[in-house]
Amino acid sequence: MQMVKKIFITIAVIWFALLVLMPKQELYYKLEKELAKNGIKINEKNIDEGLFSLTLNEADVYAKGIKLASVEKVKFFTLLFYTQVTLDKLHLDDSLKNMAPTRTEQATVTHAVWNPLNISVEAEGSFGGLSGAAALADKTLRLDFNESKGIEMLKPKLKKDEKGWYYETSF
Amino acid sequence: MKHLFKPEVFKGVLGILVLLLLVKIVWFVLEVLWLPSSGVDHMAQKGGKALYYRVKLTPNEAAAPVATPTKAPVKQASGSIKEIKLLAIYNAADVTVITVEHKSKTKVLSRGDDINGFVLQGAGNNFATFSKNSKTYKVLLLKSKSSGKASVKPVVSKPVTRKPKAKIAEGDVTDAGDHKVIDRTLLDHYAKNMDDIYKNVGIGEVRNGKDLAGFRITFVRRDSPFAKLGIKRDDVIKSINGQEINSYNAAFGVYKNIQNIDNLTLVIQRGKEEMELEYEIN
Repeated sequence: MQMVKKIFITIAVIWFALLVLMPKQELYYKLEKELAKNGIKINEKNIDEGLFSLTLNEADVYAKGIKLASVEKVKFFTLLFYTQVTLDKLHLDDSLKNMAPTRTEQATVTHAVWNPLNISVEAEGSFGGLSGAAALADKTLRLDFNESKGIEMLKPKLKKDEKGWYYETSF
Repeated sequence: MKHLFKPEVFKGVLGILVLLLLVKIVWFVLEVLWLPSSGVDHMAQKGGKALYYRVKLTPNEAAAPVATPTKAPVKQASGSIKEIKLLAIYNAADVTVITVEHKSKTKVLSRGDDINGFVLQGAGNNFATFSKNSKTYKVLLLKSKSSGKASVKPVVSKPVTRKPKAKIAEGDVTDAGDHKVIDRTLLDHYAKNMDDIYKNVGIGEVRNGKDLAGFRITFVRRDSPFAKLGIKRDDVIKSINGQEINSYNAAFGVYKNIQNIDNLTLVIQRGKEEMELEYEIN
C-alpha cells in the first residue's frame, strides 16, 4: 500500500511539475514558427502565462500576409489529459464578409484522452451556434449549424440533412 | 538526539524537490536545444504604393494641374429616358439586342450601346435596363401601338439581364478600341463570389527561390469574361494600377478595393514582352 501511495505521489508530482514548469511561452513560439512555415502568422499584444494556461491578448491572424481575423483573447488550457483552446470575440476581416460570418463571440476546441480520436468544436456568433467534431481517425470534420440565419454566404459550401445545415470536409 | 523532522517526511520532501528539479532540467534542456526564444510576427509592408487612378493632366490649360478621372467613352448626351420606347427584344445567352424608337427614329442596340446618353445594360423578357450617371433605368416593352408611351421607372436594384437561375455573372467585357470596358455588375459579382473567379481563371505562384515574385495565369476558361480581358495562359501579372503584385497581401489589397475603382491598368509579362492592358469600369 505504501508503495502504491509513493508511485501515486510521484506521478502526481511529475504531472504537476510538467505543467507548472512548462515553458509555455517558448512552446507557443515554437507553434508560431511551425504555423509560419504554412504562411500563418499571429501578432499578439501580450502573452499571459498561468499555471495551466497561456493567454494571448488582442491577437491578429495573418495568412500569407493577409489579415484574416482579430481575436480579443485566445486561451490555451491544458491538464495534459484534457486540453482546451478558447477564442473570445473572433472578428473576421470585413473583406471576408462575403465568404463567412464575421462575428464569433466564442469558439472552443476541446480534446480529452477519454475521447482521443475526436476533437470537439463549439462556437457561437452572428450565425447562431455550431457544434461539431474532427474525427482524427477518419480525418474528417463535421460542423452542424444550430440555426440557419446569418449563414447565407456559407450555404453554397454547406449540406443539409434532417438536423439542418452542416459543413463537412476532410483533411 | 531528537530529530527536528521525521526522517521519512524529510526524505519525502527531498524526493519531491529532486523530482521538480529533474523536470525543470528536462524543460530547460528542451528550451535551450529545441524551443525558440522569440516568436514570428507579421511585419506590415512599408512603402507600398497605393492604387493609382488614371488621370488627365491639363498643364497648358490651367495654372495648376487638375486631376480628373478618365471619362467613359460613352457620349453622355442630355435627354430623358421617357423619350426612348422599347419596341422589341432579342435576348440570348450571349447576346442582347433591342429595338428602340427615339425621336421617331428606330434604332437597334446591343449591350453597351448608348442612345440619348443612356447605355444599354441588359434586357429581360419584357424590359430593358439602361444606365446613366450611375443610375439604372428600366424601360418596359410597348404592349401595343395604341398604348402610346413606354413605361419608365428608375430601379434601385442591379439591372437584370436574364432570368436568374443561379448566381450567374451578369454584365460583360466590351472592346472600346484602345481599351476594354468592364461592366461594374460583373466586377461586383466576382468581388462577392470569389469562388467563381477560380472557376474561370487559374492563378499560380511565381517564385524566385523561396520568395514569392508574382502570380502566373495557369488557365483561362474560354468564353469567360476573363478570356475577354485579353489575359492568356502563362501571363505573369506584374502590377495592377501601379501596385506591384508580388505578395498575397498586395493581390488581396487590389481585390478589397476593386469595387471602388473606375479604371484598371494591368501590367503583364507575356514571354519576354511586358504589356499594359487598360480597362475602364463602367
